[in-house]
Amino acid sequence: MDPVLLLMTTATYRAGAFLEAAARVGVPVVAGTERPQALAGLNPSAHLTLDFLALADSTRAIVSFAERRLLGAVIAADDEGVELAAMAASALGLTHNPVAAVATARSKRRTREAVSAAGLPSPRFRTVPLDEDPARAAARTAYPCVLKPLELSASRGVIRANRPSDFVEAFHRVARIARGAVPGGGKEILIEDYIPGREVALEGLLTRGNLRVLALFDKPDPLEGPYFEETIYVTPSRLGPDEREAIAGAAAGAARAIGLVEGPVHAELRLNDRGAFLVEIAPRSIGGLCSRALRFDDGVSLEELILRHALGQDVESLEREPLAAGVMMIPIPRAGRLEGVGGREEALRVPGIEDVRVTIPRGQEVVPLPEGSRYLGFIFARETSPERVEEALRAAHRLLRFDIQAPSRTAQGPRGPA
Amino acid sequence: MVTISDQARSRILGLMKAEKRDHVALRFGVQGRHGGEFVYRLAFVEESDRAATDVVVDAGGFQLYVDADSAPSLEGASIDYVEGPRESGFKIDNPNPVWPDPTARAVQQVLDTEINPAVASHGGHVTLIDVKDGIAYIALGGGCQGCGMVDVTLKQGIEVRVRELVPEIREIIDTTDHAEGRNPYYQPAKGGASPFSS
Repeated sequence: MDPVLLLMTTATYRAGAFLEAAARVGVPVVAGTERPQALAGLNPSAHLTLDFLALADSTRAIVSFAERRLLGAVIAADDEGVELAAMAASALGLTHNPVAAVATARSKRRTREAVSAAGLPSPRFRTVPLDEDPARAAARTAYPCVLKPLELSASRGVIRANRPSDFVEAFHRVARIARGAVPGGGKEILIEDYIPGREVALEGLLTRGNLRVLALFDKPDPLEGPYFEETIYVTPSRLGPDEREAIAGAAAGAARAIGLVEGPVHAELRLNDRGAFLVEIAPRSIGGLCSRALRFDDGVSLEELILRHALGQDVESLEREPLAAGVMMIPIPRAGRLEGVGGREEALRVPGIEDVRVTIPRGQEVVPLPEGSRYLGFIFARETSPERVEEALRAAHRLLRFDIQAPSRTAQGPRGPA
Repeated sequence: MVTISDQARSRILGLMKAEKRDHVALRFGVQGRHGGEFVYRLAFVEESDRAATDVVVDAGGFQLYVDADSAPSLEGASIDYVEGPRESGFKIDNPNPVWPDPTARAVQQVLDTEINPAVASHGGHVTLIDVKDGIAYIALGGGCQGCGMVDVTLKQGIEVRVRELVPEIREIIDTTDHAEGRNPYYQPAKGGASPFSS
């Protein structure tokens, strides 16, 4: 079997899951990373160092590599690699999303434009330059609204404003976050209507433009701002069939409007009595370690399903397991230096809890939203019902004790899972 | 089985006296292997720590416990205490090969000559813990421990090269606790240890 080129950042959470899946499928992997791998010299045919931003140069490098070793598919594990994956797959004649569609999906503004133009439920939006006078922008805004840095993900820098005074304060804060976090300093802020309603996450797979919903996650904690920190995801959704259908329809419509046709999609939507509103859609699978909450048939992982699909294998028959499952992204309660997390053993003893993983080591600075974007870690649960999953996640979280000391002056918000 | 020099005995008895501890013994064992050498464990333990399978050596004034797993690798070893301008402390001479098993020796050779020089450039190191039934058990340390790319290093590098050069090895298992690592997952800079505390 020709190998799969797996594009991932060296800080990814996903390497292990994809490599494990590849071993199960029996397909060799070429690891495409933005920095050289320690042992690339010992196995050069399995490693490629690629600049994910230099799309044309990196595509040429991949094509040149493929002349020596044929590639069966190109898959991006993270947001950073999706455009290069589309461009390289296109150059190699492999199944892929159109490059322009992926570029649209990577831009919050262009996504909004495409979804709105297709007549799908969409918040009113506009973009404002970072150097705009916030008071002037505030006067031209309807409330409540949400301010988002165009280039960041995972709710980082996303703030709700209910009135002009909130807006001005939020604008300064979002601009500061964007300037500090975006290469080149960021250029614009997206301002859009706040959409009330229940938020869900949809994990899907596109095949020739047809969206198959792999899992629909409820987010039982209200996300009403001023910041939008993700916490609990539980599947299957407890929404009714009509609501689930509306959500699937909105996600499929958004993918169509943007032009996405092939491979995994992760979408976030809000549901209210006016319909299902797309918050965002990304041409990749769920971020962080959250994919561990998904299991198909007798133990097929999401990554295995994605690999099989990319290789042209039939995955239609793979269904999510009958058990309910969920994950809690452990929020950072306050800024400071993480000195320790206690109570893991007790949390693991909660019925239904499968694992508790803290992914920030002791001694590191932790920064809550909106400046930060990573989570302290992840709690995983499996149970007979979504209610029991949610209950188990909350019970386990209550047992964890976070020792966070006063922050140092140099605390920075690093990148995090989407 | 293990001999203890007069200097070492005197030093150990002095430490026991200084700590005012009764009913203690000295546990001696092989903790691991690193860089082609044994890593030893030498520590005071309560007499109640003695296991039925331990080899017990009367060291003259105290007892030495050697666990059954370590015993074959410590046959004929000696413990001395040296004090001088260049080195000071307990010195262990051990005539036994670090890896009696030729397969383990071959794996260690690959780690020493190919893997570790390469991962050292990324601040990491790989230690062979054991080889049993065609499985090599390793631990990754330094910059490798908890690194988001550790699976790439393991599956795409270590496993491929070791299996290529030592065909008797069919699997490599990483025994590292990556939560203890210095750079797990998304992290702005190196530094730190396990977040879990009891």
